[in-house]
Amino acid sequence: MPEKKSRSHFFDLKIPLGSLLSFYGLILLLYGLFGPRHIYEKSLGLNVNLIWGAVIMVVGALFLGFAHFRRRDSS
Amino acid sequence: MDPIISLNLIDYLILAAYVAITIVVGYALKKYMKTSEDFFLSGRSLPSWITSLAFLSANLGALEVIGMVANSAKYGILTVHFYWIGAIPAMVFLGIFMMPFYYNTKVRSVPEYLKLRYNEATRGLNAFSFAIMTLLMSGISMYAMALIFRMMLGWSLTSSILLSAGVVLIYVFFGGLSSSIYNEVIQFFLIWLGLLPVVYVGLKAVGGFSGLAAKLPDTFLHAWKNMGSAAANPMGVDWMGVVLGLGFVLSFGYWTTDFLVVQRTLASENISAARRTPIMAAFPKMLVPLIVVVPGLLAVAILPEYSLALPGSATPDYNSALILLLAHYLPNGVLGLAITGLLASFMSGMAGNVTAFNTVWTYDIYGTYIKKNMPDEHYLMMGKLATIFGVLFSIGTAYIVQSFPNLMDYMQLIFSFFNAPLFATFLLGMFWKKATPWGGFFGLLSGIVAAAGHYLLYKLNVIHYSSEMAANFFQAWWAWLTDFVVTIVVSFFTRKKAESELKGLVYSLTPRTKGSEMFWRRPEIWGSIALVVMVILNIIFW
Repeated sequence: MPEKKSRSHFFDLKIPLGSLLSFYGLILLLYGLFGPRHIYEKSLGLNVNLIWGAVIMVVGALFLGFAHFRRRDSS
Repeated sequence: MDPIISLNLIDYLILAAYVAITIVVGYALKKYMKTSEDFFLSGRSLPSWITSLAFLSANLGALEVIGMVANSAKYGILTVHFYWIGAIPAMVFLGIFMMPFYYNTKVRSVPEYLKLRYNEATRGLNAFSFAIMTLLMSGISMYAMALIFRMMLGWSLTSSILLSAGVVLIYVFFGGLSSSIYNEVIQFFLIWLGLLPVVYVGLKAVGGFSGLAAKLPDTFLHAWKNMGSAAANPMGVDWMGVVLGLGFVLSFGYWTTDFLVVQRTLASENISAARRTPIMAAFPKMLVPLIVVVPGLLAVAILPEYSLALPGSATPDYNSALILLLAHYLPNGVLGLAITGLLASFMSGMAGNVTAFNTVWTYDIYGTYIKKNMPDEHYLMMGKLATIFGVLFSIGTAYIVQSFPNLMDYMQLIFSFFNAPLFATFLLGMFWKKATPWGGFFGLLSGIVAAAGHYLLYKLNVIHYSSEMAANFFQAWWAWLTDFVVTIVVSFFTRKKAESELKGLVYSLTPRTKGSEMFWRRPEIWGSIALVVMVILNIIFW
């Protein structure tokens, strides 16, 4: 039985998801760079916003990247 | 009481961006909603990575997260039973054995399968009980959310309820199941990204996993070692209660017959994707303890409120364990992200209930008992209306459910009334062709009655268990057994359906389809790997 091909029914979720995460990553990164320092006493001196912001930005960028290549493939 | 957490501009910016994107996604899906199947089942067109994450996420609601952190602060590593033995075997079973019946028969809901396999009465019983349960759950979710947001941020109950209900209403109204699923996937990432920082910083503070273990009593560190008798472990349940009650009945009842999760698999683009959905979801599921059990353990090790050394005069409020931990370690920024993850899981939990409710209401109640054979647009419109009154009804329920100490136990209680017996009905329906229509109906009914009766006897002190949780597990087991036995007995005395009517509905009367896909896409392979990984994890944390 041949399987039905995806009808690509809806828009690609990777785009809003990737955009949201990239945005989060960016603002956390900027806040970590230019925001106040004393708040990191809580997190044992670790600048969590800077580190985690960078990680989230990479995740977001990956989603956007995949979405971009997927679109190029199908056109 | 002062709020525990104070947010600043960056945290609100993160929250606002989430709310904005969910509304945008919902609104953007509006133009794809042309038929009722688009609205209720996403046009059966989604790829399996999306449906898998949604399948998992639909269950990773905020109640679940907060309740499970509370459980691990109370019971320690024993909480992993809800994730490993209490989920993985059922998810694999659904994917390998049950999915073909759900997907290939083109049923649109769980009650509809019961109609085809048994009769109208069985469907009605399930549809009504499901609809009631779903609205209850949705109300509980909302109330819990409002309570937590009040404690955490100082928001009033009413404003949290209206904010979450309003946003959920907008996105489900426009995009139906697709909105709900897309938001669940977004939530999946937010909850992980939101909670991992507190896990990391917390572990760093106590000196890693070994440092954490050194601060906890031995009963908190083993999943099975102390399960020999109910008295030897903090949960008050023995291994039989866990295996039969949780691992077999509650877990299979929930993961294989609860329409809330099954609906996500029905949205898959083809049978192969549908079968892979629960199996691929099993892998992230096994990792969830990292973000719920570890924070619970950290709370006990670090926060004085939960310290076991204190002579227990007052029981601490376990449900605030996660929030206190977040407040303790996270600076603004990542703090806002964690709060957003929680808000997202509140909302998507509620949206999941609303979409499951509007589907069952429209197809199995309205379209069966109220207005049959109307044009499809009529049902599409009814689905949208049901979304509105489902949300309104949940708001009403939110104010009613307030008198139970541990939210999670209450949830288990409701499940065991309705869901536990249902799995016996499905098991016999799918694998025993001699089960008759009335056998199915009376089996299910007596299972529900048995659960309620057992609960009553327990509350009247006729039956005793060492803990509330043990009572729930065994109640589920007895309800299941009652359903199973009654279905078989009644089946011997009532009329069978013709075999031609059962084609595609029962295992022995369904031609096996040979999987044409490559071995690395086979559900059997991945299912086996999932089970092996589960066994290894249980041995590691024995």
